Amino acid sequence: MNVITNNNIKCTIAQAALESVIDPEIGLNVVDLGLIYQLDFDETEKIIFVTMTLTTQFCPMGESITAAVKRVLEKTFEGENVLLKLIFDRPWNYDRISEEGKQFLNK
Amino acid sequence: MFAADNTNTTVKNTTHKVVLPFYLYAALSLLAATILLLFSANAFTQHYFHPHILAITHIMALGWGTMMILGASHQLVPVLIESSLYSPRLALASFILAAVGIPLLAYGFYVFDMGWPAKWGGRFVLLAIICYVINLSKTTSKSKLKNVHAFFILTASLWLLLTVAVGLALVYNFTFNFLPEESLSYLPLHAHTGVIGWFLLLVIGVGSRLIPMFLISKYKNEKLLWLIYSLINAGLLFFLILFIFFPAGYLFIIPVIAILFSIALFGYYCYKSFTLRIRKQVDEQMKTSLLSVLMMLVPLVFLISITGWLFAEKMNEKMTLLYGFIIFFGWITAIIFGMTFKTLPFIVWNKVYHDKAGLGKTPNPKNLFNNNVFVNMILIYLAGFCLFITGASLANTSILTVAAAVLIFAAVLYNWNVIKVLSHKPQKP
Repeated sequence: MNVITNNNIKCTIAQAALESVIDPEIGLNVVDLGLIYQLDFDETEKIIFVTMTLTTQFCPMGESITAAVKRVLEKTFEGENVLLKLIFDRPWNYDRISEEGKQFLNK
Repeated sequence: MFAADNTNTTVKNTTHKVVLPFYLYAALSLLAATILLLFSANAFTQHYFHPHILAITHIMALGWGTMMILGASHQLVPVLIESSLYSPRLALASFILAAVGIPLLAYGFYVFDMGWPAKWGGRFVLLAIICYVINLSKTTSKSKLKNVHAFFILTASLWLLLTVAVGLALVYNFTFNFLPEESLSYLPLHAHTGVIGWFLLLVIGVGSRLIPMFLISKYKNEKLLWLIYSLINAGLLFFLILFIFFPAGYLFIIPVIAILFSIALFGYYCYKSFTLRIRKQVDEQMKTSLLSVLMMLVPLVFLISITGWLFAEKMNEKMTLLYGFIIFFGWITAIIFGMTFKTLPFIVWNKVYHDKAGLGKTPNPKNLFNNNVFVNMILIYLAGFCLFITGASLANTSILTVAAAVLIFAAVLYNWNVIKVLSHKPQKP
């Protein structure tokens, strides 16, 4: 959902993989929740830069979610390092939830 | 691109080792209190200042309500104010001191021995609360973020300290008689600083953050929360001033109205959070928590009635007894029932699956307990609660005994579910 990237193909693969990372409270994955803001790939240094947020800065599950995002990307793109930045200056809002996500929450 | 930034990460969770003992202790306290209800059914047909009723009230207020809230707040405060807990050791000291002090105090009341058991029990509990207040103040002071929820919690802890200090003074007054009046006269002051200052302020402070968070609600209204905060504290302070300087008079209705208004405003806050929620499905635990907000009004109706009787200089003992029962076994218990299974599974899930997240399928935190048992427990508890009120109203020991047995059954189911969560082991892939 509106993820900024410098590599569309790798971004699509990464997003598909990240659909397995579920926010345990909401039951929805981090991609459909719109928590991922940016995925950049440095091919020379083999680094994946992830910029993401959480539904609330006070999320007690935050550590588990960010750890899971890193693990999934490291597993998907073997040999590449993941640098994750958590930001709250552009706070997450409900408009970032994908249509599929909204349908899931409206069930 | 960016440099790896370790400072802008997630909040620091308090270790489960500090938090979980509080939850277990609280669950066992509920069971102990309901068992004592069974053996003390006859006491509920008499005056509320009965040794057994005092013992049960203190097990419910301290062992059940306070221990649960202390445990949960050690976990939630760092989350609310974005700062790690100042000292897990102080939290542990708080637990040990309270865990030793509460049974001593309850035993002292049960056998009405205001000698060493009640005095040492009271001292231990006071020390536990001092440790808690220091820990909370230090945690809050090192946080850059000063939000309304932190003020609610910190102020509530100061009211708790006052409640416990007054309580210990009342225990000493039985032996040394240093207060102008007998201890029974100060009971409304001790009880209301505890119920309004500690429980109500804290429940609203934490609930106003957790309810919108769990509902995934768009609603935010910090101004309203500050108004609620001011109304509760001003109302309670006014009550204390009246109680000490103008003990009889119609002015007592003013703090009651202030508190009633604050609860109505909090009800409005919850209603708006509910209507503006993104997640349509509301689980049973949230329904129970929201129901407990409505239940806040029930003891207030009783309080207005009692105030009316006081004004007419005709104290109704039965109403006071029911007022206390509804607060501890109704409102406080309902909110704890709901919030236990919204917080405990997450704490345990974080403990068990933190290192496994993203490596394969993990269960949902709500799968860590049995929801059917939870729903049945609520229904059984509700039946026992209504039956007990009927028994107390009719002063009928047989009904009270049956009601207590039903409440024990509900407490066993609650404990079973808590232990199921606490003993959860990671599922093999």
